[in-house]
Amino acid sequence: MSNKNRHMPLPSRLLGCQILLVLGCGLNATAFAEESQFGYVYTTDLLPKGAKEIEQWLTWRNKKIAGVYDQLEGRTEFEYGVSDRLQVALYANYAWARAYHNGPNGATTPPEQFADKNVNADAHWSGKRFVGVSGEAIYRVLSPYTDGVGLAFYVEPTVGPSFRELETKIILQKNFLDDRLTTAFNFTYAPEWRYLDDDSTPSGRSWQHETDINFNAALSYRFAPNWSAGFEFVNEHEYNSYLFKNQSNSGYFFGPTIHYGGKNFFITATFLEQLPWAKAHSDTVEGSLIGGRVFDNDFERYRLRVKAGYYF
Amino acid sequence: MKLNQWAWLPVAAISTSVYATTYFTTEEAQQAIFPGEKLAPAFVTLTNQQAKKIEDATDVNVRHKDIKVWKASGGGWFILDEVVGKHEFITYAVGLNPDGSVKQIEIVDYRESYGYEVRNPDWRKQFTGKTSAAPLKLEQDIHNISGATLSARHVTDGVKRVLATYAIALK
Repeated sequence: MSNKNRHMPLPSRLLGCQILLVLGCGLNATAFAEESQFGYVYTTDLLPKGAKEIEQWLTWRNKKIAGVYDQLEGRTEFEYGVSDRLQVALYANYAWARAYHNGPNGATTPPEQFADKNVNADAHWSGKRFVGVSGEAIYRVLSPYTDGVGLAFYVEPTVGPSFRELETKIILQKNFLDDRLTTAFNFTYAPEWRYLDDDSTPSGRSWQHETDINFNAALSYRFAPNWSAGFEFVNEHEYNSYLFKNQSNSGYFFGPTIHYGGKNFFITATFLEQLPWAKAHSDTVEGSLIGGRVFDNDFERYRLRVKAGYYF
Repeated sequence: MKLNQWAWLPVAAISTSVYATTYFTTEEAQQAIFPGEKLAPAFVTLTNQQAKKIEDATDVNVRHKDIKVWKASGGGWFILDEVVGKHEFITYAVGLNPDGSVKQIEIVDYRESYGYEVRNPDWRKQFTGKTSAAPLKLEQDIHNISGATLSARHVTDGVKRVLATYAIALK
């Protein structure tokens, strides 16, 4: 679509809104507080009953096999504590991306959120879209503060014009050193459906599914009042089935995370780099695995996620 | 001259932490627990052996070996301590009767967005009369506070540590 757009400018309006939201929260002098201690890994810490929060995410995905590749994903969220054990949320997901000679064999290849786009192999492509609306519920069964280990269950359906997903998680948390050292583990099972080209159907398109299965872990130490820092490890698998069959991709990411939590405000940033541990699987796309790193779908070399929240 | 680490308390309300809530100065907390009595500093420094005995007896970490203790003219004890909050430390005071049982506890400084219910008088009254022989376990002999679990557990652990400190180092 943007074959003529040789300069591919950044989506200034999208980025500008995100920056304003983050700065708007940061400039609130009376504010400040906590919760999302990690960029990718969830903990069992939930909002207390009746508490509300607005949260803004921005994720930058950068660098595929070669050429140019950037994707910015935004998420604007409202959370509410139904009870001290149950937190619900509603949010909007949107994305912008650009690509040029980034895929297998040097072909311009849009990322997974734009997989329905037919793009010329030599195109300077960019696009933006509203991905969908998500609902989220997290129910805590055990608290790390009274039961020794935290345990929670997470469910998040997403519905969009050409995307559906049902993401589920098991969340574990264990704290040490007077709760200054937080460790957490997430198991994710997320079947998803995309409305893609399909020559075998009369309409030329059909809903096609894959399943993401992830094993993520993180630890963070509160090294000063309000500040904590640590590391996150993200292991993502994709299957062209609902179970552990027909695996297409697996990627391993690792990087630092830092978190500031104040009375009514928090900000968290995590940077991840893909480790060269990926291997070929039965359904791996030829040419997408280079130097031990996989670059298919939503796998890339670098990720940076910034999350900010305001409580009221 | 070494600065007393608690000397900042009276001015905490105007500290750089714009949202800190200081409910008492040290002197105000002393008078709240021991009205009309005179309190004299009786600071002690725990030996490694005493610290280990306290940790073994309570399963709670001894974070500071310098214990801020005042002796009340009526025979009681006033101990100023701090525990880890969600983001910052919670400063609290424990008043002990001459027999070592809890007379009263007061939250001196609290800076968190949630969990301030630990200041609730009914919750704090649960500690009155407790001795080092009490379990002092959240959800056992001390009620939890929904939405304030971390603060409630750490204050409970702190009081347990203070009572063991009395039994091992002050009595």
